[in-house]
Amino acid sequence: MKHKFWLLIFAVLLAPLSAAKAPLPALAKTAEEPNVRVVNMVAERFFFVPSRITVSAGTTVKFNIRSADTNHGFRIRKAGINVVVPKRGGGETKVVFHATQKGRYDFECSKPCGAGHNMMRGTIIVK
Amino acid sequence: MRFHHIVLLLLAASGLLEAQVTPEAQQKRMEEMERRILLLEEQIRQLEGKDAPEPGAQAASPPEIQATAAQGAQADAVLEPVLPPGPVPAGPGPNDEPAAREPTSQTLAATGDQPPDAQLSVPSMDDLASSETRLPVSGYMDFHFNKVRNEGSQLDMHRFVLLFGHSFTDRIQFWSEIEIEHAFVSGEGELGELEVEQAFVDFLVKPWLNFRGGMLLAPVGIQNERHEPPSYQGVERTFVDTFILPTTWFDSGAGIFGDLGNGFVYRAYVMSPLDASRFDAGEGLRGGRQKGFQSVTQNVAYTGRLEYHGMPGLALGGSFWTGNTGFSVPGINPRVRVLEFDGRYGISRFELRGQFADVDISQTSQLNTFLQRSAGVNPNIARNMRGFYWETGYHLRPRHLPHDVLAFFRYENFDTQRKMARGFLPLRQFDRQAWVLGATYYPEPDIAVKFDYSILRNESSIIKPHNSLNLGLGWWF
Repeated sequence: MKHKFWLLIFAVLLAPLSAAKAPLPALAKTAEEPNVRVVNMVAERFFFVPSRITVSAGTTVKFNIRSADTNHGFRIRKAGINVVVPKRGGGETKVVFHATQKGRYDFECSKPCGAGHNMMRGTIIVK
Repeated sequence: MRFHHIVLLLLAASGLLEAQVTPEAQQKRMEEMERRILLLEEQIRQLEGKDAPEPGAQAASPPEIQATAAQGAQADAVLEPVLPPGPVPAGPGPNDEPAAREPTSQTLAATGDQPPDAQLSVPSMDDLASSETRLPVSGYMDFHFNKVRNEGSQLDMHRFVLLFGHSFTDRIQFWSEIEIEHAFVSGEGELGELEVEQAFVDFLVKPWLNFRGGMLLAPVGIQNERHEPPSYQGVERTFVDTFILPTTWFDSGAGIFGDLGNGFVYRAYVMSPLDASRFDAGEGLRGGRQKGFQSVTQNVAYTGRLEYHGMPGLALGGSFWTGNTGFSVPGINPRVRVLEFDGRYGISRFELRGQFADVDISQTSQLNTFLQRSAGVNPNIARNMRGFYWETGYHLRPRHLPHDVLAFFRYENFDTQRKMARGFLPLRQFDRQAWVLGATYYPEPDIAVKFDYSILRNESSIIKPHNSLNLGLGWWF
């Protein structure tokens, strides 16, 4: 009986992971612009979804970022980008990032958003 | 003043050199000097804190200046001319506020590929000054009205919390959270509390491996690290997060954290342990928190959390905490092991969340016996405690709107006397269930006006808990 209980708990918690293996709608190449990657990003206490983006050098990354709760910031220090992502219902922020040099570009929330603000980070990897 | 002297010396030196070149070259150098002066003026304004971002001022600034500011800050990227009309984003300023913008669609273009322009390079001191940025103060407040049946009502300024941080460099950052509970702190025991719940420094190395040390929140459960009033339903925190998991659970420690990719993130810390001599039957581990007050580290605790949030709207987590806790009870060193799972999912207008927590404590027979002899009262500490809850919420308006009402129902089951050591009987009044029904009105996303009615039941035939009516006003800024 005890084992069944634990199995049930695991099943309930892990079931959505199988769905997570499906291609994410957050990343898409536009048909008209093969070197453009559109990233529909959600900022929420205390993470970005997606939090890791891998693109080829020469790609233009177009971020459409919206918040699910409060104001967040989106900063890529190495690129000098630092913008507000407005609160839920406040629209979305669009950022265009020309990834023509290989490397790692960390991004982070630059607007304090709660107790876990420092956990809110992500990475763009340009290969 | 030292910086001003350097600026003047640079300008003087440039002027002396100019006298030795041709008129064409001189003209070119003059243009270059003007650019440099603009750049230096911008740097001076930043150092003097006179360039706090103001939407109007940013909109009026020419794009060239914005680009220069950004390049001075990072030296390897240039903002392109701003594409759309309207407010222009600024580079990082001294208070680290991102560019304030209209709450509509916004566009910024930047390159991550351009090498530093030698003509626009700035002294390394300036680079350092630009990368050291200061965050503004934020915080949250929680004001409650509670009416427990057959008891008097009360108004309580439950929490007044300020958060602030500082970036020493791009890779070394400080973050903190200071809380006043119940508005008034006398130092005489029974009134409010003034607590440093977080104060740590992050050393950022790789996305998957970073280091953290200081006063930390134990990464256990949903609400311990995520407790801003607009982010949870109900006036008070859940019973499971009060009696099974002792939120807010914080102590000194150090550890690692990072992003493993594919939506998985982790945190793993070594922290000060709990004090077993202060556990009890009704509130479990809660009294055993050392809270960083000269924490005894005769033992250490290990804690960690793995989270998945690879899909919008979905967050899953699992956490553990384990450590010996007997430093103040001679000859007895009970081991506490906490295991926890949680999940949150938002789809359409529904918000679903659930949490399960299980606590095992060893040597409770010896511990209860010792504490009974020393204090005269048997604390009846259980060897196992368990709690879980599930909650369903429904947005009465489409979830993307800022003006929202969310109705919710939560069922909680929590037992701090689930299993006892041989020779000890469980106190049935601590085997409890709660049905919490309520609603949260969001006049805007950072303000939550809350109402709930909590129905409490237990397994005792003698001692009965009382239902309560709760109203709350909480906000984040």
